[in-house]
Amino acid sequence: MQASLPLTAHRSLRERWFPNGEWVLAVALAIEIAIFAATAKNFFTAGNFFEVMRLSVELGLLALALTPVIVTGGIDLSVGSMMGLAAVSFGAAWRDWHWPIPGAALFALLLGAAGGALNALLITRLNIPPLIVTLGSFSMFRGIAEGITHGAVNYSNFPPNFLYLGQGYWFGIVPVQFPIFLLALAGYAILLHRSIVGRALYAIGFTAAGARYAGIPVARRIGLMYFLAGVVSAVAAIVYVAHIGQAKSDAGTGYELAAITAVVLGGTSVFGGRGTIWGTIFGLFSISVLQNGLHLAALPSELTGVLTGTLLVVTISIDRLHGRAQQKATQPKAAILEETETMKNSQLAVLCGAILAGSLIVAATNVWLVHSLDRTAGGTGGGSAATGGHRAVIAMMPKAKGDPYFVSCRAGAEEAARELNVELIWDGPTGLDPAKQNEVVEGWITRQVDAIAVSVENQAGISTVLRKAREHGIKVLTWDADAAPDARDYFINQATPQGIGFTLTDEASRLLKGKGEFAIITGALSAANQNLWIGFIKQRVAEKHPGLKLLTVRPSDDDRDKAFTETQTVLKVYPDVKLIMSIAAPAVPGAAEAVQQANRRDVDVIGLSLPNLCKKYIHDGVVQEIVLWNTKNLGYLTVNTAAQLAQGKLQKGLTSFAAGRLGKIEVRGSEVILGAPMIFDKANVDQFDF
Amino acid sequence: MLERWRREISVAIAILALMAVLAFVAPGFFSPENQSDLVLANMPVLIVALGMTLIILSGEIDISVGSQFAICSVAAGLFAKMGLPTPFAGLAACLTGAAMGAINGALVAWVRIPSIVVTLATMVALRDALRWATEGAWVQDLPPGFQWFGLSQTGSRVVTIAIAAALVITTAWALRHMAAGRAVYATGSDKNAALLAGINPARVVFWVFVITGALTGGAAFLNSVRFSQIPANAGINLEMKVIAAVVVGGASITGGRGTIAGTTLGVILLGDIGPALTFLGVSAYWERAIQGAIILAAVAIDALRGRAGRYAGKLAAHGA
Repeated sequence: MQASLPLTAHRSLRERWFPNGEWVLAVALAIEIAIFAATAKNFFTAGNFFEVMRLSVELGLLALALTPVIVTGGIDLSVGSMMGLAAVSFGAAWRDWHWPIPGAALFALLLGAAGGALNALLITRLNIPPLIVTLGSFSMFRGIAEGITHGAVNYSNFPPNFLYLGQGYWFGIVPVQFPIFLLALAGYAILLHRSIVGRALYAIGFTAAGARYAGIPVARRIGLMYFLAGVVSAVAAIVYVAHIGQAKSDAGTGYELAAITAVVLGGTSVFGGRGTIWGTIFGLFSISVLQNGLHLAALPSELTGVLTGTLLVVTISIDRLHGRAQQKATQPKAAILEETETMKNSQLAVLCGAILAGSLIVAATNVWLVHSLDRTAGGTGGGSAATGGHRAVIAMMPKAKGDPYFVSCRAGAEEAARELNVELIWDGPTGLDPAKQNEVVEGWITRQVDAIAVSVENQAGISTVLRKAREHGIKVLTWDADAAPDARDYFINQATPQGIGFTLTDEASRLLKGKGEFAIITGALSAANQNLWIGFIKQRVAEKHPGLKLLTVRPSDDDRDKAFTETQTVLKVYPDVKLIMSIAAPAVPGAAEAVQQANRRDVDVIGLSLPNLCKKYIHDGVVQEIVLWNTKNLGYLTVNTAAQLAQGKLQKGLTSFAAGRLGKIEVRGSEVILGAPMIFDKANVDQFDF
Repeated sequence: MLERWRREISVAIAILALMAVLAFVAPGFFSPENQSDLVLANMPVLIVALGMTLIILSGEIDISVGSQFAICSVAAGLFAKMGLPTPFAGLAACLTGAAMGAINGALVAWVRIPSIVVTLATMVALRDALRWATEGAWVQDLPPGFQWFGLSQTGSRVVTIAIAAALVITTAWALRHMAAGRAVYATGSDKNAALLAGINPARVVFWVFVITGALTGGAAFLNSVRFSQIPANAGINLEMKVIAAVVVGGASITGGRGTIAGTTLGVILLGDIGPALTFLGVSAYWERAIQGAIILAAVAIDALRGRAGRYAGKLAAHGA
């Protein structure tokens, strides 16, 4: 049991303000800030301070709402999903039902309240543990959001005075959404620390049965917190929509775990009974400062996860070990049970400390390694062409790091960067959170890179931040997928969605000889690109190939194993299916393996994927062909164009330019054309290595 | 007897209801090929769920199994490419999992950080570390003896299913009849009482995490041999699937209550819903909503049937 319920009157200042070891975190945060201020460019500025604030508002709101929930000993996993549901219902009310913005916002809030009430009802009236209830509503809320929008509907083009809420500044520097966060912060601080309800929450978390005997209406107090969590999630959703400029069913993906991390990092005990709002704020900012600092120092985003995990374990271990030492000092004759356990395991605690120290050293050496590699790469490049004093910095972003498709683009990008002696920063989202791309670009603007090249995940969402980059004098390119034309200087066009959709459909028709049934295995149901392609595939089937029939669209979530299982089911449910069209890179090998294992020689597999992933299946005759472009050349051309643009070598209105080893490249308007999509089959697949 | 298996019976009824609908609307669901495909597809979830049952029984939780699964998959492939014979590559994958489980277990048992915090940290850290190390590259060009253990497709299916069945039966038996199994229940019911009864709860907690790690490694290996290449992002959301299955199968999230039979039924119910909805012609866009509703309905009906177990009391017990 935690012995820190502050009942005694005389406490030291530290105990009074940081009863749960938040000081450990405050120290960690200070160290973080010191390190980044020394190493990361433009980190320690007022502008960046407010940027960090702005990017933490949505997550911060959820973390605030979760603090009292966790103080009562509960948990709410559904807050991120509720954000998705509230966002799409807000968008639907505004665009489809033509409600005014305040009406739509009210509707979203009511929905959040209803969702929170559902959780509260199941938890307090039916006595089902919160983890289970919110695990169910976690699936259900997101599922409803996907169901009503088919994952694809993207509400955007909101009026500017609404977008001001998420993108504007007061006095040119203070983000508009910041006061909302302060208001919620004040509300929750008063509720938790200065009200009778707050005291009741601690009592409930400490022991629910005891609280009942003390005359506290336990169920009502607990229920209120889940209800509020639902409402606050809806508020976060509205801020999020105004910030990103779009409402889609994937809003807030993964936010629940990030928010819980912030709360727990801040010293709130998951067993309930202890924790403070201040701790949560410290936790929140140690995570967002870490992310922001890594972007500004141009270190890979994956470090965020590794360092957050380490920070979490280390701060809580220090707090636990410190707390135990103190307990031993003040209560030499503690309960027998506690005493024996502590004695027996003290050596093991040391051991675990050693493990932690080890992991820290590993993390630190990795950081150092990355740094030194950067330096050596820069050193050799600088020697060969030491003409200009300033090396252009080009920041390039894929849709998702770790996707094999983008990994192969990166190889070409690095080749071009070496050739032209420019510094290449390659970073992007590691998860499915659509707001991440904006966050990374914001970091690059603060870092003042020379050119930014983005493979756009959400057109409506990213265009605003790209315009902001252009206002700051940064050259902006898009590659792979385009933003709004006025938000960038050039688009490196490897193939239009229309071209991809039409080519795939024409190839399918050719293989099926104009007649037959086919099924599509897509990426995630809400993936913007894939949904665009599916639209063009349907259009082409209706216009040109009436003999083809699309049976079903199944998701693979970019998971090979899921694509495999889905294809197996499709083959059985639709025995007449003659062709599987997989339009996500990991889905083609998954579908091919399923067709091969089912021994269905009559079923063709085509799709969009990388030659290296499909070589084996193409040679086995399971996959007939895949459609793609030369991804290495795409990365090469992007960096080449960006470098020439940053060095002022490309004039407006030119129709072609020389791009290194690719020779003369055509420019149409503001689109740089890579060439037509290629078809890889048995004959040519071995010539490519990516 | 009936009361004792109340929760398992609830789940079994839900499965039977689903089957009855399928029997009328889509009898193709029951074809032998579909059944064997379903078993293989859910086998990783089932094996990891065995370990998760132990962890939840002992009053803890592990949300890092998905990340462990991904690392073990890649590790199995790399060991095989280093020239290790396939069974030893599997063993090495198990050891890799056990090592990660040991880190979780040590932090939970002896540093006494709550398990959800420890595994939240390792989940994020391990997944991002793997992403960093592989940069998304798949393990390819596996030795020829790796896929299907070098056996025929049917032969390897039999081997895999036999291993999974043996694991289920062993775990169920050990949990009921071995002293170590009873110690897991005792630890989850009341740590102090367990200590007084001569059990070392910290050691129990440490070992259930190690066992879960090893089982996760085994599941990752058995899953990898079904394919000819290994992706670097395996096991995404595996932890949610596994925890949902264990909890729907009747294990109490506060520890001390639950059975392997219930977990198995939970895996069957949740694993069958997805394909069953496809067979019933439900659009993919509504599947997730329906799955969530079924989980909520299952636990709500169960709670309505037995309102005797007061949550408030259990919560207090958990805090102690």
